[in-house]
Amino acid sequence: MSTNDPIKVGVLFSREGVTSRIENTMLAGTLFAIREINDAGGIDGRELVPVYYDPKSNPQQFRSLATRLVQDDKVNVIFGCYMSSTRKAVLPVVERWNRLLFCPTMYEGFEFSNNIIYTGGAPNQNSALLADYMSSRFGARVYLIGSDYIFPYESNRIMSDFVHHRQGGAKVGERYVHLDAKESAFTPIMKDIKAKQPDFIFSTMVGKTTRMLYQAYADAGFDPKKMPIASLCTSEEEVSEMGIRLAEGHYTGGTYFQSIDTQRNRDCVALFRKLFGNEVQPNMSWESSYYQVHVFADAFREAGSDEHDILLPHVLGREFDAPQGRIRILPHNHHARLYPRIGRVNSEGQFTILAETPGGVDADPYLVSHSFDDWSTRLRVNANEEEST
Amino acid sequence: MSSPPRTGVRSKRITPEFLTQLRNLRIVVLHPRDADGEVLIQQLKRIGCQVQTFWPPVQDIPDNVDVVYYAIQSNEMHAPLNFSNFEQPPAVIAVVGYENPTIFEVMLRLGATGVLSAPLRSTGVLASLVLTVGLTQEMRGYKKRVQRLEQKLLSVNQINDAKAILMRTRGVSDAEAYKIIREQAMSKRLATEEIARAIIHADEILSGR
Repeated sequence: MSTNDPIKVGVLFSREGVTSRIENTMLAGTLFAIREINDAGGIDGRELVPVYYDPKSNPQQFRSLATRLVQDDKVNVIFGCYMSSTRKAVLPVVERWNRLLFCPTMYEGFEFSNNIIYTGGAPNQNSALLADYMSSRFGARVYLIGSDYIFPYESNRIMSDFVHHRQGGAKVGERYVHLDAKESAFTPIMKDIKAKQPDFIFSTMVGKTTRMLYQAYADAGFDPKKMPIASLCTSEEEVSEMGIRLAEGHYTGGTYFQSIDTQRNRDCVALFRKLFGNEVQPNMSWESSYYQVHVFADAFREAGSDEHDILLPHVLGREFDAPQGRIRILPHNHHARLYPRIGRVNSEGQFTILAETPGGVDADPYLVSHSFDDWSTRLRVNANEEEST
Repeated sequence: MSSPPRTGVRSKRITPEFLTQLRNLRIVVLHPRDADGEVLIQQLKRIGCQVQTFWPPVQDIPDNVDVVYYAIQSNEMHAPLNFSNFEQPPAVIAVVGYENPTIFEVMLRLGATGVLSAPLRSTGVLASLVLTVGLTQEMRGYKKRVQRLEQKLLSVNQINDAKAILMRTRGVSDAEAYKIIREQAMSKRLATEEIARAIIHADEILSGR
């Protein structure tokens, strides 16, 4: 192989199916990073070439397309997956062929594979902070509502444990909605919420049903100032899909918001807009999809190869100035040091950042029982922003 | 590892107490520092357990250990572990390279209640640990219960024997015999079982047995 041959990498994000909207932004984040790398001369003069397939939000498709990427396209590295079910489908493929998957979604934790790098965050970087923040401000009587799969179950376990340790805390309701549910599924839930009057609603809805939840909430006449929805998955993209009116005043916990006020982030978003237009909203999943390609490229430059055993030592321990802050890939668990934040949707459809963790937080994906004492010391609250509405 | 795992129906998404204590587990790994050993040790550390490693195996392991992983190698003699100084013997999880009757015999002789098959993967280490610790606690609960029941059965038999003696020697009824034992117990501040034993003992002496 001559030294200016292109480098092929696999890309698996859905453009169809229940989670296509958010996955489309992850595809854009990935292609944006590839474009940036190539515009700057590629990897030591070699062009990075994405081999893309649409797995249509379907785990079986993810598995067969990952196999195709490895066997037919001969890629060594794959960027992809949003829902845990799709990551679990790709895991045996990359393990069997000893390839490397970069997975940019925050998820429920409790996984490690020597063939996966997890760049999106674990529960100690999302659920824990959100639970602490919401229950200390609104009260600890929570109503849990999520999509019917593993990430919501596990996130709700953490939330339940947490509120039970709070004075007067209780889980007053827990409902799961199918990923392809219709609007009507939310009617009885809103009735139940009205009857139970929780302090806040914790949502782990993903995909198309997210909009339905916020719509049903507004239709029920609830007030976000009194009983807001706190979500782990409602990003700028979902806000743009449902419309600002429905989302305003609700909360999200995440490691990135488009509104982060740093030169690095402003430049990054501006360049993205210039190259890709305004259709896709930069969001937390977009950002991790973006930065992980750069982590790969930097590691490749050092390693001179993307073969798993040669590349991996150069990925582990690597730091990168991501739009959210300086991230680090943690050698012992393949997850990352990230910057948890709490945001509230404002009248521009952006998130006003209310609290953040300035030093970053290392992922601890096998943490069963979260200690919340850590947060109060690490969390910097933007008091001025909290007051404004 | 305080309360045993719940086996009955429980409300959704609340973590059983024993799972929240996983990070307090003290674990000894008797395994060579080879590729499999590293997979096991690194995964246990990721889970957050406190891990000590010894190879070759030591017979006397620290007495505050909850779980012992024991690599069963085909070419080694496996001395039984000495848990005599333990209040609660630890759970043993065997790490086997071969799944054959010779190895299984060793595994069972070591008292293993869990097993991992080499080559090891990170996936599966936590599941087997949870199951083994959960079952070990359940078995400890059963053992205690069996001991209590045996004790109870013994007492009941002794009281019955003592009542029979009183009925025979004093010509009283079953209910009256029991009343005598109970009154004696109360006035001497002793358990009814002890009074029963004293009566049996006295009867043995008096009857010259």
